[in-house]
Amino acid sequence: MEIQLISFGKISEFMESQKMEIPDMSNTDELKTYLEQCFPKLVGMKYKLALNKNMVQTSQELKNNDTIAIMPPFSGG
Amino acid sequence: MNKERYNRQIMLQGFGMPAQMRLTGSAVLVIGAGGLGCPALQYLAAAGIGTIGIVDDDVVSLSNLHRQVLFTTEDIGKLKVEIAAKRLQQMNPEISINTYAVKIDKSNVIDILNYYDVILDGTDNFAARYLINDACALLHKPLIFAAVSGCEGQLAVFNVPDNQNESTNYRDIFPVQPKEGEIPNCAENGILGVLPGVIGTIAATEVIKFITKTGTPLINKLRHYNILSGEQYEINISPANHYTLPKTATELSNMEYEDSCKVSQNYIEIDAKELKSLQNQPSTLVIDVRERHEFPKLNDPFITQAPMSELEELLNQNITQEKIVFICQHGIRSLSAAEAFHEKYGNTKKIYSLKGGIVKWRNHF
Repeated sequence: MEIQLISFGKISEFMESQKMEIPDMSNTDELKTYLEQCFPKLVGMKYKLALNKNMVQTSQELKNNDTIAIMPPFSGG
Repeated sequence: MNKERYNRQIMLQGFGMPAQMRLTGSAVLVIGAGGLGCPALQYLAAAGIGTIGIVDDDVVSLSNLHRQVLFTTEDIGKLKVEIAAKRLQQMNPEISINTYAVKIDKSNVIDILNYYDVILDGTDNFAARYLINDACALLHKPLIFAAVSGCEGQLAVFNVPDNQNESTNYRDIFPVQPKEGEIPNCAENGILGVLPGVIGTIAATEVIKFITKTGTPLINKLRHYNILSGEQYEINISPANHYTLPKTATELSNMEYEDSCKVSQNYIEIDAKELKSLQNQPSTLVIDVRERHEFPKLNDPFITQAPMSELEELLNQNITQEKIVFICQHGIRSLSAAEAFHEKYGNTKKIYSLKGGIVKWRNHF
């Protein structure tokens, strides 16, 4: 399946926004595990996912061509 | 009120005198008179917010001036709140300005926030941001959240109910406060001066929209803005329900905001002289935790390179030396590394962090 990945802040330095071919999976929890395997820098980092512009609070069903945004917290002022 | 001063916004369709009167009757608190606070304060004062509070305990330094546009070279060393109040009062003598030359903390946050209708968070660290978020949630104060990183900004309006009577706060996005050094700040990461200018100005816009009930406020949305691409991305925030907010002032005072490593001294912060002396002692390992692309490079064969992003590997190895010294650019990430290694080794090893980092002790390397 294919997803559109949009990354922000520090995360975009090692994970560029891209169309990404991923193995078939059913939900955002599985995607998180997969992304952390592909991008080990994510492990131990605080970040949030949004599925089709809605913040993911509990695991959501993932479909072909979904858009996933991934963002870290910003503290700068 | 001198109507002539506000004439160009009063004449705006959908604004008028009622909106101007709402601005005059409102009290807005801006926490942090830095890159975000300066432009926000300028526009809030100019727009005629009746009472403006400014919280900041810091003094102006030269490296502030490329983005903190209320200050001049002559202001270096002076309290930011005093200079800001003076400039804003010159801009608009009709408004009242209260200054708080303090660091916002658990002991003063409730008293300071209580007086104001709207809070704008323009601080530069997670400890302050989580404290302000929790206090605003506790006091049901509308919070305009603005933060920057590199070339991007984040904006949101918290604690304001939407049409479904649902409101959110920062913990609905990031429930747990990141550890110090986990996410770099401006000093660690660098920042394009105009970025907080744009983001701070949008934050002031959200304050004005909220008070005057004009336009569509950014309620329950997190907006990302990239200054280089010009792209915006908005995400709907929904309540998370898996975190606990302090429900009383007492509960708030029992929360831990300052990084635990600062409170419990599990390691020792040293200066360059002490570093030198440690390097001459046996069984000492000095580790540079900066990423590989950072400058200046240290051409010292006795300094091990282990970037923060690869620290996990080093943590999994068994270090034989008795003393471990961490260094980084500004002495912030090295604290996180020191804390992580203290967690692993406890008091079986002595752990040190170079205070102020390589930048402070540049001549010693």
